[in-house]
Amino acid sequence: MNSSMNKASLSDWQVLREVELFLFHEAELADGNQYEDWLELWTADLLYWVPSNDDNLDPQKKISIIYDRRAQLEDRIFRLCTKHAYAQRPQSRLTRLVSNIVLDDFDTESGGWVSSRFVVVELRNHVQTLWSGRMRHKLVREDGKLRINEKHVFLLNNDTPVGNMTFII
Amino acid sequence: MNQHIIQTSNFSGKTHWDKAALASLVEAGRIHSRVYTDPDIFELELDRIFSNSWLFVGHQSEVPSPGDFQTRVLGRTSVIMVRGKDEIVRVLVNRCRHRGAQVCETETGNTKFFRCWYHGWVYDTNGDLAEQTGDEAYDDSMDRKAMGLTPVPRVENYRGFVFASFAPEGETLTEFLGGAAAIIDLMVDASPTGELYADGGSHKTEYRGNWKLVGMDGYHPLHLHASVMETIHRDPDSGIGSTHRSNPFDDTAATYTRDFGHGHSMLDFREHRIKHYEEHCEFIKKTSGGAEYIDAMHKTHGEERARMLLSISGDPHLGLFPNMQLIHNQIRIVTPLAADLTQVEMIAVRLGGVSDEINANRLRHHESFYGPAGAGSPDDTEIFERVQRGMQAELNPWLDVSRGMAREFTDVDGSTVGRISDEVPQRGIFRHWTKLMTQS
Repeated sequence: MNSSMNKASLSDWQVLREVELFLFHEAELADGNQYEDWLELWTADLLYWVPSNDDNLDPQKKISIIYDRRAQLEDRIFRLCTKHAYAQRPQSRLTRLVSNIVLDDFDTESGGWVSSRFVVVELRNHVQTLWSGRMRHKLVREDGKLRINEKHVFLLNNDTPVGNMTFII
Repeated sequence: MNQHIIQTSNFSGKTHWDKAALASLVEAGRIHSRVYTDPDIFELELDRIFSNSWLFVGHQSEVPSPGDFQTRVLGRTSVIMVRGKDEIVRVLVNRCRHRGAQVCETETGNTKFFRCWYHGWVYDTNGDLAEQTGDEAYDDSMDRKAMGLTPVPRVENYRGFVFASFAPEGETLTEFLGGAAAIIDLMVDASPTGELYADGGSHKTEYRGNWKLVGMDGYHPLHLHASVMETIHRDPDSGIGSTHRSNPFDDTAATYTRDFGHGHSMLDFREHRIKHYEEHCEFIKKTSGGAEYIDAMHKTHGEERARMLLSISGDPHLGLFPNMQLIHNQIRIVTPLAADLTQVEMIAVRLGGVSDEINANRLRHHESFYGPAGAGSPDDTEIFERVQRGMQAELNPWLDVSRGMAREFTDVDGSTVGRISDEVPQRGIFRHWTKLMTQS
C-alpha cells in the first residue's frame, strides 16, 4: 500500500470522498436488491469477476464463480427479475459495510483502480451468513459521473464450500 | 390415509433398522422420506454403500507428476490420491499409523513427504514409512515396512477416472460401471486426442439436504429452472442455451431417461442434440479453432461418431451411483456429510487437442448455470433444502416416483428407458439402494 499512500496525497481527499460515496451508493443498491438500478452504475463494456478457489487465477483457464461481461450480467439481472429465480424467493436481506477504501492508481479526471474491503451479513430463511473479502473496482468517469467498468470480488472463503450466493456480491 | 399414519408411527423413534424395515421404505413407485431424513439410516449408508461400493476419487490429471496429491473424503474416510515417486497413483488413508492424526491438511499440492506433526513420523509419496523419530525405542518386533499409510484396498482407473473401494473383494470396476462406461466415453472422446484434464478449477457448494437429492431429474427443468428457460429465449447462443437447442425437456422430444442398473442413470440427449448438429457446428465455428476442432473430431472418430460427440458437446449427463456425476463440462463429486448436509464439488474439465478459446468458452457456459452464483445450481439446492424441510412432516411420509412407470421399457442393451420427465433414474437409484442396504 506504500505506492497508493504516495499517490493519494492529502489534497486528494475530495476525490477519495467522491469514490467513497459512489461505493456506498453501490452498496445501498446491492443491499436493497435493486438489480436494475445497480446495473445502471456500469459502463457499456464491463467485467464483473468473482474468482473461485484462488485470487490469482487465469479466468481463461480456470472456472470462476462469476465472470460476466455485459451480455452475461444482463442475463443475470434479467433472470433475477423474473418471477422464477427461486434462490432469491424470498430475497436475501442484506447489510454490508465497505471500508479500507484506497485509491490505487486513480486519476481525478478519468478514474482508475480502487481497493476496498467488505463485510456482508445476509439473512435468508432464518439463517444468517457472513460473507467478506476484498474488492477492486475500476471506475471510469463518463460525462462527469463515475461508473463501474470492472469489479473484482475476492471472497475470503472462495476455496470452501458455500451455499446460495445469488444476491449481488 | 390411516395406513400412512400407521406406517409413520411404526418408524418413529426407530434406532435399529433391520433389513425388512429398510426394504419396506422403498416400494415400486414410492419412497418413504425416512431414507432422506433419518440419521441412523445415514450411518448405515456410510457402512453399506460408501464402505462397499466403488467410489470415484478423482481424475488422474489432478496428479500429473510424482508427488502431486489431492485429498478427498470417501464416506467417513479422508484419503490422499497421490502419484508416488514410482509414478503409480495410489489412494491412501489420511491417517498417521502411530496415533491417528491426519498427515495431510492441504487439499492439493506437490510434496516429497507427508509428515505427521504430532510425533514426527514421515511417509514418502508411495505411502511407505520413511522416518520414525527416535526409532531406537522400538525393537525389531515392529515391521516398519508394514507401517506405511494404509492403502484403500482396491484402486482401478477407467480412462483416467480413478475409483477406489474399501471392500477387499467384490465386483470389478468394469462390472460396476457396466453400460455407464460408454457414457463416460462421451466426455473423454469430446477431445479429439482422447485427453481430458480435470484442471479447470472447481465450484464447491453445500446444501442442507440429503446427498441422494442431487441426481438425474429431467422433469424439473421446465418448472424449477423456468427463469433460465426465459433467459435462454433472449439469446440461444448465450450460456447454457448453447448446449440445449430447442426444448429437450418436452416429453415429445427425442430425449430420454436411462437406468443402467447399479443406480447409474443418465438424461440421454443424444438423439435430440444430433438433430441440431448443423446449428451446433455453426456455433462452434464462431470460436477460434472451431473449424479445426470439428475437422479433428471427424478424423479421430469417423463421420457418424464425430457427429454424435460434437452434438452432445462432451456432456454425458450421467449420474454414477453413489458419488460421481458427469454434467455439462464438469466432473461432480457428491460428498455426504450428514443426513441433511451435502457438499458438491463441480470440477471443470479441459479438453486436450482443442483451442484455448474453445475451452474458455466451455468454462463460461459452465459458470452461467452452475456454482454458488450460477443461474441453475442455486435454484436446485434451494429446492433440495425445501424438500428436506418439507420431509420433516410425516403425516403422509411417502414420496411419489411413479412418473412414467407404465411407459418405461427395456432397451436392447438392457438399460431401462423412459421419456425425459419420467422418474426412471429415481426408481433405479432406489432399487440399487435397497439391494446394497439389505444385502448380507
